[in-house]
Formats: sequence, structure tokens, C-alpha cells
Amino acid sequence: MNKFQKNKDSNNSERKSFSDIFIWRIFLVVIFGIGINAIFFFQLNYDDYYVFAQEINYNNNNNELSIENLLKSGSPILGNPDAPITILDFSDFQCPNCGRYVKNTEPILNETYIQTGKASLVYKYFPVVGFDSMNPALAGQCSQEQGKFWQLHQVLFANQKPIDSGWVSNDNLKNFASQISGLDIQKFSECLDGERYKDHINKDLEMAKKFQLRATPSFIIVNNDGTNPEILTGAHPFPSFTAIIDNKLVEENKQ
Amino acid sequence: MNNTNNNNNLFSLSSFRIVFSNPLYVTISAITTTLFWIILNVAGELLFFSPIWVFYLPDDAILGFILTNITAVLIGIVLSMNIYIIRNSKLKLGKSLFSGASIGLISSTCASCTSIGFALVSTFGGIGILISNFFSVYEIPLRIISIAILLYAIYSSHNRITKNCLLDFKIK
Repeated sequence: MNKFQKNKDSNNSERKSFSDIFIWRIFLVVIFGIGINAIFFFQLNYDDYYVFAQEINYNNNNNELSIENLLKSGSPILGNPDAPITILDFSDFQCPNCGRYVKNTEPILNETYIQTGKASLVYKYFPVVGFDSMNPALAGQCSQEQGKFWQLHQVLFANQKPIDSGWVSNDNLKNFASQISGLDIQKFSECLDGERYKDHINKDLEMAKKFQLRATPSFIIVNNDGTNPEILTGAHPFPSFTAIIDNKLVEENKQ
Repeated sequence: MNNTNNNNNLFSLSSFRIVFSNPLYVTISAITTTLFWIILNVAGELLFFSPIWVFYLPDDAILGFILTNITAVLIGIVLSMNIYIIRNSKLKLGKSLFSGASIGLISSTCASCTSIGFALVSTFGGIGILISNFFSVYEIPLRIISIAILLYAIYSSHNRITKNCLLDFKIK
């Protein structure tokens, strides 16, 4: 092997080992970066939303989150409206994670806080998941007109099918509604076909936008008078709600 | 002569024993698996960091969780093997690592319900809804496909490691 060839091999080897080390270090950094971002993503978002929610609260004299205004707006409310805490649930009947929350978390929440008068639950329409999402939202408010929202809510989530698979067509919604005892299906059909509550749904959507909600379900947990809002994004389990509500109840008792 | 014997012994071992006999690759694999486990479970809304740290596993998420665990472990193994290949040869990373990991990651979340879906919809409009719905509706089959791709990536990496004609081992 001549001198020139030796030098060439040595250069190649140095270059290769440098690029190897460089590439695999970059990979480790990328993997760590992704992980750290994932860990802090929700924490940061939570803090941002919290600060934003507080700002909205302080800048809004006529607080739209107060139970008084929520009652006036005609939103479906479960539990005692005089309860010290209000939970606003921004949800879509087509969203699988909303279905998971309704199946796993809402019953415990209902039993622990709503039935005991510690909190009330307000449903807000957030139909963004699919093309058909507006239909069940309109149906929901049409059933609310007759005081049957929570019954339809249970029926729809119990029969939830894949997004935009046609399961929330107007005909299917009328069939679901016909399963609810005491609901006037004639009135319901007229309301649904005439899209009577489209403006109501759009107002809920505007509220979700205002609070920069970016996932279904999302929750805003506030004091009864609309102060001190806190936002939960996603189908959180019961302990997440407990952490916020218990804290608020303690603060409430101190005052 | 001594080198030749070493080479023969080395290639008689499986690629797993070659790679994971070095604690560095075991560490890389463990860290990658842990990170992807966290990412996949946060995306799947099973693991939350705020307002408190909580992990929960509802009945409807058990199958997805099992597939998530398999995906995270496979990504850890494939990444270690590929880093081994890069360090010990002139070969580049296998494309199957990226495709398997990406599909596993995207399909692990209800794309329509989360900010991923919101980003898709705000960027692509109606097409965004179609894309995010596709990932939501075909979540389980997509995860199985991602596992199949990652298994292929392991097979491919095994071949790269054990076929000496492609490698330039740093054995002295």
C-alpha cells in the first residue's frame, strides 16, 4: 500500500467516524427533544389556557361563565344550579374520547359532585370532529327544548359509531329520540329539520374559540359566579377533576 | 488469523446479541422505549401530567394500550440496531424505522379529537377532516400495520448486521 493510499484511507476513516458520531448524537437529541416536548406539552398548554382564562374572566364584566348567564342562554344543566362549582363540558357526540369520558368519568363525577350538590354540569356544543357533527348538536338542543337533553345525551353516546359513518343522520337521530319516553317526536322532528338552534350551537362554538379550546372534550371548571376558571383539555379521568374541584371547594369554604 | 476467528464467532451470534451485548445500545433502547411509551400514552389520552400526574386504563383502551406497548418496545429495538449499523458501517438508517414509528405515533391518538386533528382541519379544511377521521376510524388496523413495519425493520436491520459483506466492522 503506497503512502497516498494510506492517507486517503485514514482521511476516509476519520470522516466516517465523525459523521457516525454526529448522526447518532443528533438522533439521541431528537428523541430526547420529542420526549421532553411531549412531557411538557400539556403542562404548558394548561398554564397558557389557565392564564388566558383568568384574563378573560377579569376583562369581562358581564361574565358569560356565571351560572346565571348559562341558565339564560338555555344550555343543558345537570344538577343544582346553585352548586358552588360549575363544570362546562365542551363536547361532540361523534368524538370517541367524549364517549370514553361519558362512559368512564361522568358517572363518578355525577355521583360524587353533582348529585351531592357540590357542582353542576353544563353541556356546551363543540361540533368539530366530523362533517355530520352539527346534526346531533342540533338534536341535542331540540331535546333540551323539551327538557330531555340528558336522556338523548345518554342514548347517543351509548350508540356511538365511527365518525361520519352516517349514524347521526336526521332519520337515525329521530329514531334515537323516539326511544326517549315523554319526548314529543313531532315537535322534535320539526325543530331538527328546521335547524332551529343553529345560532345557539354557533354561540357555543364561539365561546370555545374564545377560550382557545383545541380538543374534544374540553372542560372549563369555574366558581358559580363565573370567576376563577380552570381549563381541562381531553378525556381526563376522575382524579384530574377531583384535584381541581376539591381545591375550589376548599377555597370557597375559606371565604 | 485471529481476526478471522473473531469474525466467524461474531457472525455466528444473532444480531440481538451483537447489538445488545453493548450496554450503550441497551441504554439507548430503554430510553427510546420509555420516551415513546410516554409520548404514545399522552397522545392516546391515557397519561396526563396536569393538573396532576395520572395514568388510567379504561376498558375500551386496553387493546390500544397493548399495541402501544409493543410499538414502543419495537421502536426502541429498531432505533438501537440502526444506530449500531450507522456506527459500524457506511449504511444509512432504514426507512422502515421512520414509517413504522410515524404510523404508530399518529394512529395512537384520536386524531379528530385532539389538537392534531384541529391543526389538520385548520390547515387543510375539509380534507383535514377526512385525514384526521381516517386516522381515528382505522386506529387499530393502522397500529397493527405500524407493528408489522417495525418487525420488518428489525428483520432488515438483522440482515444488515449479520451479512458481513455489507459491513465494515471496527474489530482490531
